[in-house]
Amino acid sequence: MATEKAQALVLRTTDWSETSRIATLWTREFGKVRVLAKGGRRLKSAFENALDLLTLCSIVLIRKSSGGLDLLTEAQVVQRFPRLGTHLPSLYGAYYVAELLDAWTEENDPHPGLFDLAVETLRGLGGAIQEAEPVRSGLRVMRFEMQLLCELGYCPVLEGCAGCGTARNEGAPGPALFSVAAGGLVCPACQPVQRDRQALSPAGLRALEALAQPGEAWRLAGRDDPAVDAEVRRLLGQYVTYLQGRRPRLLSYLESVDENGTGPKRERG
Amino acid sequence: MGTEAGGAIGRLTEALGKLPGIGPKTAERLTHYLLAASRVEVFALADALRAIKENIRRCNQCCNLTEGELCSLCADPRRDASVICVVEQPRDLAALERSASYRGLYHVLHGRLAPLENVGPEQLTTSQLSRRVQGGTVKEVIMATNPTLEGDGTALYLSSLLAPTGVRITRLARGLPSGSVLEFANSQMLADALEGRRAF
Ligand SMILES: [Zn+2]
Ligand SMILES: [Zn+2]
Repeated sequence: MATEKAQALVLRTTDWSETSRIATLWTREFGKVRVLAKGGRRLKSAFENALDLLTLCSIVLIRKSSGGLDLLTEAQVVQRFPRLGTHLPSLYGAYYVAELLDAWTEENDPHPGLFDLAVETLRGLGGAIQEAEPVRSGLRVMRFEMQLLCELGYCPVLEGCAGCGTARNEGAPGPALFSVAAGGLVCPACQPVQRDRQALSPAGLRALEALAQPGEAWRLAGRDDPAVDAEVRRLLGQYVTYLQGRRPRLLSYLESVDENGTGPKRERG
Repeated sequence: MGTEAGGAIGRLTEALGKLPGIGPKTAERLTHYLLAASRVEVFALADALRAIKENIRRCNQCCNLTEGELCSLCADPRRDASVICVVEQPRDLAALERSASYRGLYHVLHGRLAPLENVGPEQLTTSQLSRRVQGGTVKEVIMATNPTLEGDGTALYLSSLLAPTGVRITRLARGLPSGSVLEFANSQMLADALEGRRAF
């Protein structure tokens, strides 16, 4: 049983007893870990307020050899994102980041690049980054979502047909067609087989490409056409739902708010 | 203990063991205590247990736990009905009452908005709160949800829900507990205290 240090994002906590909590953390070093934090509910514990949802903290833990919970011995806040609590679309976006990470990552399977992007995304959503041109929170969340899919091997096929591999014919009439079951664009020959195919606007396709690319091109995606955000949001949501086998909980929350307003568009429920 | 599975003694031990902070050893000790206790004492406990489920309900107005239609706070004419303080749980209400510095009414949500735990607005008493505020006598709603991300998020959701009514919405200040010293406050408390500072 070795003592280890790690950087961690808090994905979930449950009260375990009068004083203790169980937390699911996503660490840069070890992937997902489940830890028992004894005394974690006390105000003045070794964890202070570090175990609040989506807090970035530096932790010390004792790893268990197999199965059981790791034991958290220290946790210190590195960064909190209090401004998430002032903008509903950012808050729901951040919750969605946590939901995706919890659903898609495994123990002992670290993805340091994705970890850094998750932190960057939360900092952006939480208003902790000074940017010359602010990025819409919805776009920022889709950037993270697309990069998570690509990092884990599910990047949608956009350069050719996901069914047969034929290169994309730029001159083809009509909109491109996307199939979540095929995992990308489908060519005219494959379309009859992919019954879930749906039209994808040229601007929507460009946005998907920009989100998947490395670099900063994604920041400009859909800038000239606000309808693109909704189109790409819907498509990515369907794709993630298909891959996960169930619809993420936060999707309906994300749909219930609009970027500019404080939302909710309607009273849910 | 020589108990058959599903027998009365086993069932009691199992039920006690589900209570927070009570492990199997303690559950067994409590069971032995109750076995040895007088009929009067044990029946009084059983009656009290039954009563909290049969007689306790939610206040028609603020959703606090009560035995009547209205809780004692809502029924008290000396309380200021133009201010509502929104809390997550009855125990939060109790804590604020102990401070003896608030004369308004409350609204108990019975939880916080936690989409990741599948707790949405419909699981809370948000629509009752909406109706109360739309009633028109309320001038201010104080958000006193916990200073956690989910607590803040709940306050944010509620303030956007109530915004169209034009009611004044405030948030509890946070920061240094009175009687504490700066030296031992953690950095978050100090940051909050600075941010929440007020003019003299
Ligand atoms: Zn094809
Ligand atoms: Zn009441």
